[in-house]
Amino acid sequence: MFRLDADLPVEFCDGTRRRDFLHAGVLSTLGLGLSQFAGLKAHGAVDPKKDVNCILLMLVGGPSQLDTWDMKPNAPIEIRGPYKPIKTNVPGIEISENFPRMAKHADKFSIVRSMYHTAAAVHDTGHQMMQTGRLFQGGVEHPHFGCVVGKLRGPKGDVPPNILLPRPIGATGGNMPHGHAAGYLGKAFDPFILNADPSDPNFRVPDMLPPDYLSANRVDRRKNWREAIDKSVSKFETSQDARLLDSSFQQAYTLMSSAKARAAFELHREPEAVREKYGLNRFGQSCLLARRLVEAGVRFVTINMFETVFDEITWDIHGSKPFSPISCYKDLVGPMFDMAYSSLLEDLSQRGLLANTMVIGTGEFGRTPKVNPAGGRDHWPQCWSILAGGGPLKGGTVIGASDEIGAMPKDRPTTPAEVAATIYKGLGIDLETELPGAQGRPIPVVDRGTEPIKKLFA
Amino acid sequence: MRLILLLCCTAALLPAAPSLSILPKEVTLATPESRQQLLAEALLDGGVHSDWTRHAAWSSSNPAIAAVSLSGLVTPKADGEATITARHNNLSASVTVRVRNAAAPFTWSFKNHVMPVLTKTGCNQGACHGALAGKNGFKLTLRGYDPELDYDALTRQSASRRVNLAEPARSLLLLKPTFAIPHMGGLRFKTDTREYRVLAEWIAAGAPPPAEKDPEVTGLEVYPPASILAPNATQQLIVRARYSDGRSEDVTNWVKFSSANEGVATVDDSGLVKLTGHGESAITLWYASKVLYARVTVPFINQTPVISDFRPRNFIDNLASAKWQSLNLTPSKVADDSTFLRRAYLDAAGILPTAGEVEAFLADPAPDKRAKVIDQLLNRDEYADYWAYKFSDLLLVSSRKLRTPAMWAFYNWIRDSVQANKPWDQFARDIFTGAGSTRQNGALNYFVLHKDTIEMAENVTQAFLGQRLTCARCHNHPMEKWTQRQYYQFANLFARVGIKNGSTAADNVVFAKNSGDINHPRLLRPLSPTPLDGQPMPLDSTADRRVHFANWLTKDNDYFTRNIVNRVWANFLGRGIVHPYDDVRATNPASNEELFAAVAADFVKHGYDLKHLMRTIMNSATYQLSSESNATNQADNVFYSKYIIKRLPAEVLLDAMSQVTGVPTAFGGYPAGTRALQLPDVRVQSQFLTSFGRPERILCDAAERSSDPSISQALHVINGDTLNKKLADPQGNIALLLKLGLSEKKVLEHLYLTAYSRPPRPDETAQLNKLLADAKESRQEGLEDLVWSLLTSKEFLFNY
Repeated sequence: MFRLDADLPVEFCDGTRRRDFLHAGVLSTLGLGLSQFAGLKAHGAVDPKKDVNCILLMLVGGPSQLDTWDMKPNAPIEIRGPYKPIKTNVPGIEISENFPRMAKHADKFSIVRSMYHTAAAVHDTGHQMMQTGRLFQGGVEHPHFGCVVGKLRGPKGDVPPNILLPRPIGATGGNMPHGHAAGYLGKAFDPFILNADPSDPNFRVPDMLPPDYLSANRVDRRKNWREAIDKSVSKFETSQDARLLDSSFQQAYTLMSSAKARAAFELHREPEAVREKYGLNRFGQSCLLARRLVEAGVRFVTINMFETVFDEITWDIHGSKPFSPISCYKDLVGPMFDMAYSSLLEDLSQRGLLANTMVIGTGEFGRTPKVNPAGGRDHWPQCWSILAGGGPLKGGTVIGASDEIGAMPKDRPTTPAEVAATIYKGLGIDLETELPGAQGRPIPVVDRGTEPIKKLFA
Repeated sequence: MRLILLLCCTAALLPAAPSLSILPKEVTLATPESRQQLLAEALLDGGVHSDWTRHAAWSSSNPAIAAVSLSGLVTPKADGEATITARHNNLSASVTVRVRNAAAPFTWSFKNHVMPVLTKTGCNQGACHGALAGKNGFKLTLRGYDPELDYDALTRQSASRRVNLAEPARSLLLLKPTFAIPHMGGLRFKTDTREYRVLAEWIAAGAPPPAEKDPEVTGLEVYPPASILAPNATQQLIVRARYSDGRSEDVTNWVKFSSANEGVATVDDSGLVKLTGHGESAITLWYASKVLYARVTVPFINQTPVISDFRPRNFIDNLASAKWQSLNLTPSKVADDSTFLRRAYLDAAGILPTAGEVEAFLADPAPDKRAKVIDQLLNRDEYADYWAYKFSDLLLVSSRKLRTPAMWAFYNWIRDSVQANKPWDQFARDIFTGAGSTRQNGALNYFVLHKDTIEMAENVTQAFLGQRLTCARCHNHPMEKWTQRQYYQFANLFARVGIKNGSTAADNVVFAKNSGDINHPRLLRPLSPTPLDGQPMPLDSTADRRVHFANWLTKDNDYFTRNIVNRVWANFLGRGIVHPYDDVRATNPASNEELFAAVAADFVKHGYDLKHLMRTIMNSATYQLSSESNATNQADNVFYSKYIIKRLPAEVLLDAMSQVTGVPTAFGGYPAGTRALQLPDVRVQSQFLTSFGRPERILCDAAERSSDPSISQALHVINGDTLNKKLADPQGNIALLLKLGLSEKKVLEHLYLTAYSRPPRPDETAQLNKLLADAKESRQEGLEDLVWSLLTSKEFLFNY
């Protein structure tokens, strides 16, 4: 019988019950103190080494390294721009005054200040590389990190392994794929896409439950009958799209039948104060939702901070329409990121989840060291900064350095491929792992010889 | 069995004695620095090519005139003629080489030699000195789109240290890339290379600047242009550039190569192709903003031949089957009548046949009944609805930027045009040459949608030419032929469109202005309005620029024809002959070029008649193939050897559900009974349409519409109101069937005919009877659940 409220505890290999695990995840609402949580951890309910998750924050538009996390206060005004650095809770690390909350959590993340890529300076190429580790060439679409995790590890519990919030990146000028999908792994490993705005007052994942007029009995009957009818026709067996349809029905039924999985999406269960702390906007609420999803067993969550760079205020500060002005880092985009990111780190850490959840924040490139005539900065893949912490990654350090004007990496130049290797290593995936490419050609998760950023690992 | 095998092979392959030939067949070395790499290309049993260049013994009849190296590279020695011969495996081939000006003075040209070196070695790529801001203070234009600026940067800036005329060897241009002194970009070439020699000798000659009289590259040639190769083989490609002074040069060394399908072939910087799989790939070539491609084919290997009952019915079939033969594919069987009927209705008109129509068709003994039903379909109102919807996608009809009456005026103009089967060239001309009230002439709303010249230029090229120009807005298109100059020449065609308020808020008046220009952003001046590769118009002319554009667009314009032919083809066959179907750029080759060219030519010959095009496609045996594969064509999803299964588009699927349940969907603000395909607007609320991938009509881009299955679609049909309410509707077909008191058998027969366009098989009837018997407590609910199961099954959701 198909039970909509089936709530059977699932037993883990180490003997902990899934129920216990989830309760551990929501300990703050249960009034469990941190020391008690540590006790749980000692018993193995949370093993940071075994099961690491990842939240990838795609800072669409491309934050300016010079106005965020790699300030050059001693450079001439046309380089250093309008903002001043502030101290953080880690001596020696300074970031822009636009991120005062983040500054209090600098011990929880590290900054890599020597990122660069060599592809065309358009948004799309950077999106591809920062989400898959590679540039798409010769018709080969590489899979997103989360899709690889989904393929190699499968789901944990009743939730999909890989979720994209809130929507895929839309047009950013290059007409190229952005790398959110499973590419050659096949659509079966595409992420579950929320396709809704979690900051919408009426936000809910549509149609998670049958309507009142449909009994569980009938839902169950329909499921069986549909399968029986499909089975009597063989012509679709070789169609990939048709197989995919089966798997999406299956996943839908799994989601429906798990009260816990459904609850993970129910943001209204969060106290108002928590929701406000993250920021009552699309990005803030997506970060909060990501935390809930990770708690419920989602292995990889990608959040697109923006969906396009046109006619929307984003990190893409060319200074002229339809793009954004540099002042938005102070007025809008900066505070939005500051609130959500600091709350996410704080929350994850208080719940003991930071130990097994990597949080990576990256744009697709940096921005021109010199402020342009429109008062903005243009695309600059030659040098930018990313944020990385959580899971096995160290916080409170700065990796690499840029030159005196933030134009080129000076120390430990770092490529998107190395970030990919870092993410895979952090997730516990062997870098030699091969994936099935087109026509069965094996493709390693990262090109052979690509090293992770070793200094990030504690 | 052996006989079958033999027959099969004769049909598929041409057994011939092996032969050898040299490519290119004509060689003239016109300067002392001209070189020509030759290829020794063997044609083996079964039509397979083999590159013997590196195995052959090369010799020259007169090495004092033209010398040939062990690897087949010919260099000039003295004026005259020599015969070059290649020998291997008892075969030989020869080619005559003419040498001219061997002793004439020679200087390297900045535009034709120095720039290609900088481009090929990556100096001016986006990540290096080609970046918008340059690199380390040295800036070149991206991939060399502006030789004058680059010359200036090299010779005049930086106190002439980059090019040192007094001491050429101390030029940074030589020291940096050879890593004689530190260079962020590393070692680009060594001092003993041709690259070094070109730069060094050019500097030594006084670094002559680019000049107006420098010959221009007018086109490229590639050898071999198409070859059928064995799996794991390698094939060298040779590229020659043709110049405006009539000469051709081997430029293989300076070409940028890339493979369109790395699952079939990869290519390295020198143009050496390695075959990695079965199928076909294009190797695209880019040199001096000219593009071309070579085709490499690796036939599929078939252990068990299949006899084909394929009977060509028109030229499409002949050309499709030529491709299958070259690839060793046997087409699937022809689809049965039910499958054909359902497919034809869905593809031509976006509807399902009714039970009555299915029964009549199945019972009709006429041998030409398929052709007759095709003609009928193309004359139905639903045909006009369906294609008006598709063209509204293309032209971005929506209330996002248009007021409701304006949107209706635009939509109605489109639908009337489809209904009247307006020739496609006239359809386009009407849009671009009209003037006056947008209310009276709805087509003019296209200008209201595109008040921005840039947006207009980009969407027009996408919608009517299948070209993506966007990259060229800021710099020459990096892998395409379009330059930034061409972009602003083109955009300037739309700089004199005037729009003023009309009699009502939703009415505008469109007119041609006689002033106004868009500036080239770097030159800071307007350029003569010029269609892509077309004739320029004087800047000071006051003639309507739109008319100049429309004349070029619709007359002998390959892009224009191929764009629409490919879109229509993809609608019926599930995939464009060029894929994706809205991207017919020069470097994105067709899966079957001969077929594409023939369909396009036939379309033009018949006066851009869309219905003729559709009729030709639908009557072909290729269109009518079954989607079920045989032993040979399982891996084929590109060459149409079987029908490609596709999910019904969002609107078609919703209408089909309404049709089977007899309950129309209610759309806010539209009269009851309006079908999804009759909506002029995509902003009409519908969770069903949104989750099933309805496009937003913001960008002209095929990717806006999605047909990928997703969890949210499954959740919506399982739990959502759309389908569930249709099933339970007291006015619907389920209620009616119950009222009529039909037997279970009759009910099932009716449902199968309406939903699947076929009667149920006896085993299906038996199975479903049993299932229904389990749901005795309520026949109504039992039937609802049965119809739900039918309408969410693959046979319903897919067109096969």
